[in-house]
Amino acid sequence: MAEKLSMTVMTGSIDRLTGMAILAGGAAGMDVEVEIFLQLWGVYAFKKDVITENMHLSEFKEKGEQLVKRMKELNLPMWFDILKEARESGKVSIYACSTASSIWDVNKEDLEMVDDIIGAGEWVLKSKDAAITLFI
Amino acid sequence: MTELNLEELRNLKADKVVDARGMACPGPLLAAKRAIVEVPAKGILEVLSSDAGTRRDIPLWAKKMSHEYLGDVEDAGYWRIFVKTVK
Repeated sequence: MAEKLSMTVMTGSIDRLTGMAILAGGAAGMDVEVEIFLQLWGVYAFKKDVITENMHLSEFKEKGEQLVKRMKELNLPMWFDILKEARESGKVSIYACSTASSIWDVNKEDLEMVDDIIGAGEWVLKSKDAAITLFI
Repeated sequence: MTELNLEELRNLKADKVVDARGMACPGPLLAAKRAIVEVPAKGILEVLSSDAGTRRDIPLWAKKMSHEYLGDVEDAGYWRIFVKTVK
């Protein structure tokens, strides 16, 4: 098993993306390689024209305002800045699903922080030897 | 790995101090990782953190990176965490 964290990201909601980014950061800090595969809403959330504007939550939407307020009070960075720092600190690779990229009609240049567009088969081969595999 | 007592830790003079107070996990851990490259061999890194997770992360990180965790001292609302580089 490779000392690797593999995350398949279906979500485009910023609460879950924050959790994902923090895990990427924790792994990078411990020199654990990270590989991320964005599917559907994940690809959508990484679009350059969506990424900083996105305020979608997956649950407890009525707590959204309180959450944002609290994050500001604590000076917490947004998920994409946490992920950016993780990429600067360790080996964090991000791939976008080719089908989702077709759906949203995007190529690599339309997405932030995405290294390549790949298919499901290649992703399964990349993940199969990871010690930690997550679906977010 | 020998941990120092509180008195020794309080008087320790670090080669580099990383002030990560007010940063949330994983910020302080990543700041420590960036900073340790600037610490000479057998030198001391001091990490200031108000994050409880970081207080547990740093000794684990030190062990994984083959550095020496020396201990931590609690100050007003934060911890001073000490790591000694081996190489």
